[in-house]
Amino acid sequence: MEKKDIIQSFKDSLFTGLIALALFGPIVGLRTASKGEGLFITPQWGVVFLLVGLCILGRFLINLNSARKTEITFFSKFTSKFSAITRDKAKHFAITAILFAVVFPFLPFTDRYFMDVAIMILTYIMLGWGLNIVVGLAGLLDLGYVAFYAVGAYSYALIATTFGWSFWICLPLAGLFAAFFGILLGFPVLRLRGDYLAIVTLGFGEIIRIILINWYEVTNGPDGITGIPRPSFFGLPFKRSPDEGETSFHLFFNLEYSTMHRIIFLYYLILVLALITNYFTLKIRKLPVGRAWEALREDEIACKSLGVNPTNTKLTAFAIGAMFGGFAGSFFATRQAFISPESFTFIESAIIVAIVVLGGMGSQTGVVLASIFLIGITEMFRDLEQYRMIAFGGAMVLIMVFKPKGILANRKPTILMHGDKK
Amino acid sequence: MNNLLSVENLTMKFGGLTAIDDLSFDAKNNQITSIIGPNGAGKTTVFNCLTGFYKPTNGQMFLHKQDSKISLRKYTDFKIAYVAKVARTFQNIRLFPAMSVLENLLVAQHNELMVASGYSLFGLLNLKTYRDKEQLAVDKAKYWLDIIGLTHRADDNAGDLPYGDQRKLEIVRAMCIEPRLLCLDEPAAGLNPKESAELNKLLKFIKIEKQTGILLIEHDMSVVMGISDHVVVLNYGKKIFEGTADQTKNSKEVIEAYLGVDE
Repeated sequence: MEKKDIIQSFKDSLFTGLIALALFGPIVGLRTASKGEGLFITPQWGVVFLLVGLCILGRFLINLNSARKTEITFFSKFTSKFSAITRDKAKHFAITAILFAVVFPFLPFTDRYFMDVAIMILTYIMLGWGLNIVVGLAGLLDLGYVAFYAVGAYSYALIATTFGWSFWICLPLAGLFAAFFGILLGFPVLRLRGDYLAIVTLGFGEIIRIILINWYEVTNGPDGITGIPRPSFFGLPFKRSPDEGETSFHLFFNLEYSTMHRIIFLYYLILVLALITNYFTLKIRKLPVGRAWEALREDEIACKSLGVNPTNTKLTAFAIGAMFGGFAGSFFATRQAFISPESFTFIESAIIVAIVVLGGMGSQTGVVLASIFLIGITEMFRDLEQYRMIAFGGAMVLIMVFKPKGILANRKPTILMHGDKK
Repeated sequence: MNNLLSVENLTMKFGGLTAIDDLSFDAKNNQITSIIGPNGAGKTTVFNCLTGFYKPTNGQMFLHKQDSKISLRKYTDFKIAYVAKVARTFQNIRLFPAMSVLENLLVAQHNELMVASGYSLFGLLNLKTYRDKEQLAVDKAKYWLDIIGLTHRADDNAGDLPYGDQRKLEIVRAMCIEPRLLCLDEPAAGLNPKESAELNKLLKFIKIEKQTGILLIEHDMSVVMGISDHVVVLNYGKKIFEGTADQTKNSKEVIEAYLGVDE
């Protein structure tokens, strides 16, 4: 590298430092603390200088690296190797992942906390796969996906608490309700694309949440619905002391009573639901309707010129995506046994969209990796409390810098004429 | 020979601008009818009216079947391709770039495949009836790919093909819907002489073997004069001349429209 370049990048880093100083100075440097009868400003310039110094150093290093005209090879090499594995050995990879998921509850280090996180990750994976149909395949950016999650959860909760039907009857009903709402949202947005569609769907998500808060007679407003029945293992409830004339799970199988039984059952339940979503998506992608979704994403006008009905195609994408959101919602309701509108805020939609986009639009494996990465990292930093969102943001920035098209961005054709060439 | 398409008093106005002014012409079965004219003459607007992208202000367009005729005005949007079987290509190529060549051709057979897959139900159950139909669709795609010599690239992304091949692919994709009328918007734009010669061959093949009427917008005179059976010349939305290729070449009005009038 030439001397001129070094001076240039040094100047640039100093400039970055100035900006950092302007930002961190007031935000971090002036801390208000309440002492006695008012707020007092306590300056903490040390932290500011540390942060500014870090910024200057970081910028300088980035400059040095770009002057080398090569990327930071570690991360991209790692991920491209990884995507090569998931592409070429997709089957092996999937089987290994599923096997791992199946034995996970019985691994020695797996405790209650791990199971909870795993269930949460699987829920997001399922939501991600459901949204992948709408965003990844059909290319309709839906920022209100949480609405269908909410519709599913509330339909399940209301049906189950009102009629007392079992989980396995309520689940498909909740899915149907959500699909119906998917079509309901689909109609007004048929003509919209891109940014406009995103805004309307975002609004739709909020509308559903606000209805849930205000329709007190039905949804019980902000208090939410309590006492949602837990799922049973083919009629065997997970209770320590079952009601008269009932046998519970641990008695039937002669096991010591443990709350883990229910957790493990829930884990397998969401695993199966998620895998069904995945199987369905992989199948339907290879059908005419799936190809039409992708064609619609690529070029709507060309689709029309070939006689593809864009209305039906979009509505099916919305309905099917919403249906899986509804299934996930029912699962959420039955796991929590309590739901309130608070669980269905915009941030949920944003996380699901982030999972789909960061995973690589349309990539099923990508959704899994992104869920583990994003949800896992936020959980790992739970001790940091509010700062864990920084970790979340950092994870997103990392992926966007090194893999702007998502972690796994390779698309495999749905049908091959010449078979798989290695 | 029978008329395939008759356009009667077609007028299209955008606000105060009259893009097409009282245009009437016929296109016959198994013929290549070219629409030529200087830039901005309204050629693409005619196409957009025919293929349902615009609703004309005035006038009628009829597609003739054996004894009956159907009005294209009644159909909008995707139904032109689906019901009336009028296919088109675009001035700026509109393939599905991230999908494979074969997939592009299968999307063109979407409606038949949709029925064959029992609106996805049989397809999800993986029934044999659907798999057989899908194989037929692949065979049809292969038939067309053989003709344009792209079979070896069937599994590559359409966006990765060279420009000339993309043009040809777009034409055969339109042919996959088995159209009665094929509208081509400047298919030779950006092609080198060798490629336009191949294009001529392909269009002649479609005309003769497939018994399809072709409507062609083109600036490349070697294509227009080489293959047109009939030429319609537009200028400022009006038809200024109609006749065979040779007649057009020698027409005073046409030369004036392209080169201007002597002072």
